[in-house]
Amino acid sequence: MRVILETKPRKKSKIPIEAESIIPQNFLRGTDLCVFEGNKQRPLDEIFFITVEGPAVSPDQVEVILKGDTGRIKRVGEYMNAGKIVVEGDIGMHCGNFMSAGKITIKGNADAWLGREMRGGEIICHGNAGHYCGAGYRGEKRGMRGGRLEVLGNAGDFVAEYLCGGEVIVRGDTGDLPGVEMRGGKLIIEGRCIRPCGNMTGGTCMVFGQVQDPLPTFEKKGKTQVDFRGMKVTMDSYRGDVANRGKGSLLMKEQEILPE
Amino acid sequence: MSELLIKNAFVIDPINGINGEVMDIAIRDGRIVEDVGSGADIIDADRCLTLPGGIDSHTHVCGTKVNFGRYMSPEDMRAGRTSRKGSMHVTSGYSVPTTFGNSYRYSTMGYTTLLEGAMAPLEARHTHEEFTATPHQDMMANTLFDGNWSVMEAVRDKDVKRAAAVVSWIISAAKGFGIKLTNPGGTEAWGWGEDVSSIYDAVPYFEVTPAEIIETMIRANEMLGLPHSVHLHCNNLGVPGNYRTTLDTMDLVPDLNSKRQSLYLTHVQFHSYGGSTWRDIDSRSEEITRMVNSSPHIVMDMGQIMFGRTTTMTADGPMEFKLYMLHHNKWSNHDVELETGSGIIPVYYSRKSLVNCVMWAIGLELALQTKSPWQCLLTTDNPNGAPFVKYPEIIALLMSKRFRDQECALLDSRTEKLVPLMALDRELDWNEIAVMTRAGQSRALGIEALGKGHLAPGAEADVAIYPIRTSEIDPSAQYQQVMAGFSRSMYTIKRGRVVARNGDVVVEGANSTIWVKPRLSPEYDLGNDPEFARKFQQYYTVRMSNYPVQDSYLPRGVCIETEADL
Amino acid sequence: MKIEDVVCPFCGCLCDDLVVEVEGDKIVSVENGCTLANEKFLGNNRLKTPIIREGSNWTHIDIEEAIKTTAEILLDADRPLLYGWSGTHGEAQTIGVHMAEMLGAVIDNTSTVCHGPSIMAIQEVGHPGCTLGQVKNRADVIVYWGSNPIEAHPRHMSRYTTYADGFFLKEAFRERKVIVVDIRKTETANIADEFVMVEPGADYALLSALRAIVRGKGDILPHNIAGVEKEQLVRVADICKSARFGAIFFGLGLTMSRGKYKNIRNAIELTEELNRHTKFTISPMRGHWNVYGSNEVFTWISGYPFAVDFARGIAFYNPGETTSVDILRRGECDACLVVASDPGAHFPKDCCRHLASIPTIQIDPHVNATTHLSHLQIPVAVTGIDSEGTAYRMDGVPIRTRKVIETTYPSDSEVLEKIYQIIRREMGP
Repeated sequence: MRVILETKPRKKSKIPIEAESIIPQNFLRGTDLCVFEGNKQRPLDEIFFITVEGPAVSPDQVEVILKGDTGRIKRVGEYMNAGKIVVEGDIGMHCGNFMSAGKITIKGNADAWLGREMRGGEIICHGNAGHYCGAGYRGEKRGMRGGRLEVLGNAGDFVAEYLCGGEVIVRGDTGDLPGVEMRGGKLIIEGRCIRPCGNMTGGTCMVFGQVQDPLPTFEKKGKTQVDFRGMKVTMDSYRGDVANRGKGSLLMKEQEILPE
Repeated sequence: MSELLIKNAFVIDPINGINGEVMDIAIRDGRIVEDVGSGADIIDADRCLTLPGGIDSHTHVCGTKVNFGRYMSPEDMRAGRTSRKGSMHVTSGYSVPTTFGNSYRYSTMGYTTLLEGAMAPLEARHTHEEFTATPHQDMMANTLFDGNWSVMEAVRDKDVKRAAAVVSWIISAAKGFGIKLTNPGGTEAWGWGEDVSSIYDAVPYFEVTPAEIIETMIRANEMLGLPHSVHLHCNNLGVPGNYRTTLDTMDLVPDLNSKRQSLYLTHVQFHSYGGSTWRDIDSRSEEITRMVNSSPHIVMDMGQIMFGRTTTMTADGPMEFKLYMLHHNKWSNHDVELETGSGIIPVYYSRKSLVNCVMWAIGLELALQTKSPWQCLLTTDNPNGAPFVKYPEIIALLMSKRFRDQECALLDSRTEKLVPLMALDRELDWNEIAVMTRAGQSRALGIEALGKGHLAPGAEADVAIYPIRTSEIDPSAQYQQVMAGFSRSMYTIKRGRVVARNGDVVVEGANSTIWVKPRLSPEYDLGNDPEFARKFQQYYTVRMSNYPVQDSYLPRGVCIETEADL
Repeated sequence: MKIEDVVCPFCGCLCDDLVVEVEGDKIVSVENGCTLANEKFLGNNRLKTPIIREGSNWTHIDIEEAIKTTAEILLDADRPLLYGWSGTHGEAQTIGVHMAEMLGAVIDNTSTVCHGPSIMAIQEVGHPGCTLGQVKNRADVIVYWGSNPIEAHPRHMSRYTTYADGFFLKEAFRERKVIVVDIRKTETANIADEFVMVEPGADYALLSALRAIVRGKGDILPHNIAGVEKEQLVRVADICKSARFGAIFFGLGLTMSRGKYKNIRNAIELTEELNRHTKFTISPMRGHWNVYGSNEVFTWISGYPFAVDFARGIAFYNPGETTSVDILRRGECDACLVVASDPGAHFPKDCCRHLASIPTIQIDPHVNATTHLSHLQIPVAVTGIDSEGTAYRMDGVPIRTRKVIETTYPSDSEVLEKIYQIIRREMGP
């Protein structure tokens, strides 16, 4: 089944839409769903032109496609556990939060909190992601715990904050403090970043681009070789964050540290 | 004038010796009366279990440290959120609900009166503001004196009268209800990062011992004629081997009051540990209950823990720091100048932890081994042991050996050797439960005279009707129904108004705060005492005239004036 | 007539020992206050009546009309924002939260541009703190990090820290050591025993380094961290570890520089580490006299201390999403009520531009920067001067502000209550 949702023009287009009802399994029951525009509830067909093609008997047969002005539509794919979502353009905050299975593809940019507290499944963002990509929720000790999140562009600050499982890959650059508080899982940054892995206690982070202002509380352990896109790359291997009794592993491509 | 008639109520009213009689209850203008006219509203209780409104004698629901617990725990807040609905405001929170959340959930369980476990007098205004926002229960505040400088100086000088005068001034100023001592002496030591390790350990600088503080305060309490006795959270909470501290403490207590206990020991489960380290900790509930059984002048409450996530919060700053060192969770601390301390840390009680299994057993053992239910009241030290919404489950466990066996089978298998629980067959009955959840509290808190905790004419019309017909349920086998029945009343009536109905709160509340004001002779009025005033000028950071809680904070205050023997 | 023990409604110190002399309905002098207090009590340019825009002019409007218009604007909006709250009493803040839950609005207070990051850090690692009297009576080491109290909290040091004699420190000034960490030599740094000059934006690294040194792992650190010689850091760590009681105070130098809440978190974790050696506490230097009050009130009603979004009925909290600056910058809200604060003076330009483009109503005694962005302003009494109510000091101690003169202005509570009642009537049960 393909469900195509194309946005209709809205009078107050800057007011965000909360659309946690847009997950593949909900469309098995039809399209009689609703979303919220600010504090007003709206039926799905007031916000989108809806087209449904083909049948499905289980959610993993459902593919939802979002088109149009989707950059302010939040919570799409929240708690998703099967099926596919494809966003042709940009997507709003909290896309794929708590996801446990299925696949979300974003062709444009993703706003903040992409894949927050992800448990499983796959998210791929072709554009840039905002802050808190693959992060956790305030006050919880564990953030993303499973699944695979890949950003082909750049990401913002606090990527993979509280990471405890799963894999987060940013092909471009990230902002400040990626991997902060991480305790498990794997974070790979192919581009540049600033102050990676503050307060880390576990897990592995690899940075292939330039690192700005690396933190002084990581203990150098030597060098190691890793596979990077078919090539062997030498990395400086660090353990830390020593400020925090940390036993995490931070690998930075050797000699890619910006001078003071 | 408003009249209400509850017909066909199956009443258990231990204070008045009624143990399961079908009767009508007539209510006029918020009080129970002999009878009402034909125009009265009628509720048909249909022979369902009808008890006086529930009274919680130790719960942490309002005040500085409770609110700390809330705003530092957004992950707890998001776990239990409801929207506005009719008269009900938004609520949030699981183990530390918002004030309206607490009020609605307690009301749903039939509770109409609460004693806030701890209030620092300097911050009393905050507690009173939250009391008004917990609108469906009458509220009382346990006022902290464990680290009070003026009290410790009086204790050092062996001047009980001065100690009483200090308590009188402060408790009236803070509009508190009773004397609370939390780790007496320890909270002052914690001002320097230290603690006391026995009741005979001297407090740094002040050179008094916890034993001296406790003895003096018990005497001062009786001198002031306060309705409740001293309410004590013993030293060494949570420390393996601490049962000795608890027994030593109980040894200190004289029998000074014929109407009620002379000492109320709170959350005794946390104070009943044998062994010497976490590795060999075991249950000493037998020793503790043996002592309580032979000491009619001592009353305790359980402090039951239940498995799962919750938040600990007490005035026992050093103990909370110890938990931080053990579990490394987020930890908050708030010492209050010249008075006391506090600490907050989330915990998770797990069946995989042998220590937690022993703790779980001990709480139940205390209740099952104490002969008189009037001496062992039901609490979880909410939220320290568990959120209060777990009370129905605890009731079911106490009433059913089968339920206990089922739960025991899930524990760490080594527990059996360390605790006597598995060998205890006793099953509490409806009357005993009624005592442990309302009648006993009323007597222990000294609020019987106010009309709380019973249903005879003259009493306040606080009534809970539960969807339980005792003749149709065997609590020993049908514990799930017992749990469900106590979780959600059919009707909760407060001061003659139906406030909750089958889980929904249906009106806006208008509660009262109950506080005490001892009357003593002018020479003991510290308002004019230069030594006492000096504390404010030099050591406090709030001026004496700004310290007392103004009347505007208690829109419907109920003041109990007592005649002090001073 | 002299009135004693008056509470100053300006900064988070909430000094309550002012003596105010009153003649009729005028304040003629203030004793014991700092210059900020004098300005507040003696200042005299209040807006006289409610005003509303008509075209490019302002005209006077009757207060009942103003209240009605405010309610209508808020009821009409799809995403209203209720902002400010830190400069008024708790009773008014309470009404604000109930209004927000009724309307399905977002309610936020000035923490959002001030110590919001401190709260966020506390939500991650807790807050080992104390009341100010504990510091006064016991502390022999005081640390000011990213905070300049001589200018921002003028009486902090004389009432609570450096110069305040306490029970255990009779000659405080001699017995105390003061450490100041800042990016430049401020007035406060001038009186420090140890001034640590940190590179801008590098406090996080410095705090991590200090934690490592306290843990005994200083040997892995380079010789210079964030512009500071390791030698000085070791000295500072030693002073802290050998304190009897250390108290750290921090301000916007940490909350509003790179890393924001992660800086605070690091400072709190340093404090927790130091608690393994001796007694140490940490406290935020709250700015407004009742911003902590708005955190307390928001929390006990909604569960969250600021940035609370009721659009979906339940309370939702997510700084970065439900915070005012973000909502305004994204042009998300379509009406705004500003109470007891001045976003026009503090918010980024894009936010102000948006405020000017939507119906913005301000409830405030004075003409200020926000007035120029507003559509309607209702003047009210000043809490602590001509109205009274509860305030929470920077350490959480609640004190009731006094009313020292009588004027004809209604209080914030009175105005808000009327707006709230209209909203309740319109929206039904």
